[in-house]
Amino acid sequence: MNEGKPARSGKRLLDYYWERLCKNRLSVVGLGFVVFLSLVGIFGPIFAPDPQKTDFMIKNLPPVGFSIEESVYEITTGESTTTVVWGRPDHPLGTDSKGRDMLAMLISGARISLLVGLLATGIAIFLGTFIGVLSAFSGGWVDNVLMRFTDVMMTFPFFLLLVMIVFIFGPSLAIIVLVIGLTGWTGAARLIRSETLSIRTRDFVTASKALGASDARIMFHHLIPNVSSLIIVMATLSIPGVIMAEAALSFIGLGDPMSTSWGTILNTGQHSLDTAWWVAVEPGIMLFLTVLSFNFFGDGLRDAFDPRASI
Amino acid sequence: MRSYIIKRLIYSVIIAWGIMTVTFILLRLGPSSPVDRYILNIAARGQDVESVRQAIEARYGLDKPIIEQYFTYMGNLLQGNWGWSFSTSQSVADLIVTHWIYSFQLILLATIFAIVIGVGLGMLAAVKQNTKIDYAASIFSFIGISIPGFWLGLMLIMVFAVYLGWFKTYYDTSYPIWSLENIKQLLLPVLALGIGELAGYLRYTRSAMLDNLRKDFVTTARAKGLPEKTVIGKHVLRNAVLPLVTIIMFDLGSVVFGGAYLTEIVFGIPGLGQVSFNAIFANDYAVVVAVTLIGTFLVLFINLATDLIYTYLDPRIRYE
Repeated sequence: MNEGKPARSGKRLLDYYWERLCKNRLSVVGLGFVVFLSLVGIFGPIFAPDPQKTDFMIKNLPPVGFSIEESVYEITTGESTTTVVWGRPDHPLGTDSKGRDMLAMLISGARISLLVGLLATGIAIFLGTFIGVLSAFSGGWVDNVLMRFTDVMMTFPFFLLLVMIVFIFGPSLAIIVLVIGLTGWTGAARLIRSETLSIRTRDFVTASKALGASDARIMFHHLIPNVSSLIIVMATLSIPGVIMAEAALSFIGLGDPMSTSWGTILNTGQHSLDTAWWVAVEPGIMLFLTVLSFNFFGDGLRDAFDPRASI
Repeated sequence: MRSYIIKRLIYSVIIAWGIMTVTFILLRLGPSSPVDRYILNIAARGQDVESVRQAIEARYGLDKPIIEQYFTYMGNLLQGNWGWSFSTSQSVADLIVTHWIYSFQLILLATIFAIVIGVGLGMLAAVKQNTKIDYAASIFSFIGISIPGFWLGLMLIMVFAVYLGWFKTYYDTSYPIWSLENIKQLLLPVLALGIGELAGYLRYTRSAMLDNLRKDFVTTARAKGLPEKTVIGKHVLRNAVLPLVTIIMFDLGSVVFGGAYLTEIVFGIPGLGQVSFNAIFANDYAVVVAVTLIGTFLVLFINLATDLIYTYLDPRIRYE
């Protein structure tokens, strides 16, 4: 669009980044889906029926446009009759083996996935930034201790730890968020440490030190703003991992029983692959699209923030 | 060099000890006792549960304070005694000896699959940069990275085992491990586990190849009139595999603990992931600690091996 013009001719920096981001069509599509999903997660549950409401009269209803054959064995006559059951518009995505509405469950799942993804990533990135900057800034034994601690955390079998803690302390959303957040900061800490180390030696940091700036001022006014784009990209790209971890936990039966997440639907769906395929297919597609969108968006963001990347 | 290795080994032992301690304490903090599962059978026969429980707990020292149990466990571990699995009624060492091969085989096959296809496609995409093949490969890698492995596993089971009937819907342990039938039934698990890694390798290979294709020595090689095959195979690929080695080795750690674990559960493969999963639910702490320890040592060993292989692949790197 602005070929030939200097990159920041009077423009705010954010506009510049936004323009660069928009040149990557896939990342805009990703962002669009994430926004859509957030709206569904925030407002959807207001309109949707209760996702936990069971109704065994309408169990295993296929999505609209699909049909299944249902055999009923009549105990008095000894005959079995086969009827074709079509999806109904009042349950557009079908129902599961307990007659719960799939659409309502998927909407609830969107809320849970985004909530867990954002909160746990928030905790992890905050811890990672704090530990990374502190480690690089302090140097010496503080750096040594923090980095060895990071090594230990990185070696820890993450998923096993997750399963163990959630099993011991009981499956609740708060525990899941806390555990993923408190264990997921290691990568961020290392990356931010190395980035901070290189920024620390730049002239503007030396200059402000010479002017008598305090350590805290250098940390919050020079170091953190300079790694902020890195932090944003890391956060975006680590959300999918968190969402998948939550789904995996719920899938193996350690999800919060009080809420419906995509993983819990998959958990019910795996037992009815032959009778009700949609119960396992639909939440998986949502999970896949969400992760894909965050990856597209994060990838575009990284290129937009990277002055060397040609877009 | 030797002092470097010794230092790293000592360091590994300390990390493993730390992880063992954390795992042990976490599990012993749990709400139930490891003998609970064991006692269920006795309760069904109408015997006095409490006295049996006390007898078993006294027999295995579970009634002692946790600190004392911890030191006893550690002492046994140092003597090569891995403890007793209450939920399966066999020694942990036996349990691991019977089950490790399933995990090993799954991870080995998935890794080979991911490396061969991933590196191959990555090379192809780089050589054919900005063609349809390149775009297809890039979209494929995005899909591979984003698709949840356990869900892909479920879908593969549904399509190929339930509807098409090409595979069994359960894992058949009656085949010999390395028989063709067994490897055939591992096809779907390997696909489900390998696709994510494959996509990652594809991306890295592509970008590493492209980086090197722009280097001066490639121009020189071409100017010398070397055939393109030699330029790609000898000059570009050799320089591109270096970062790939670290990535593959690093991935192996996450495959061992994340993907393989879930894949074993989805497909019912009786590997160590499945074993430790059942053990967590049965509060069988000795099994969980043992599997965690083995896994940790494996990751630490892989990390050390990566660093050492690096000095061989890139003679400029030296460790002090």
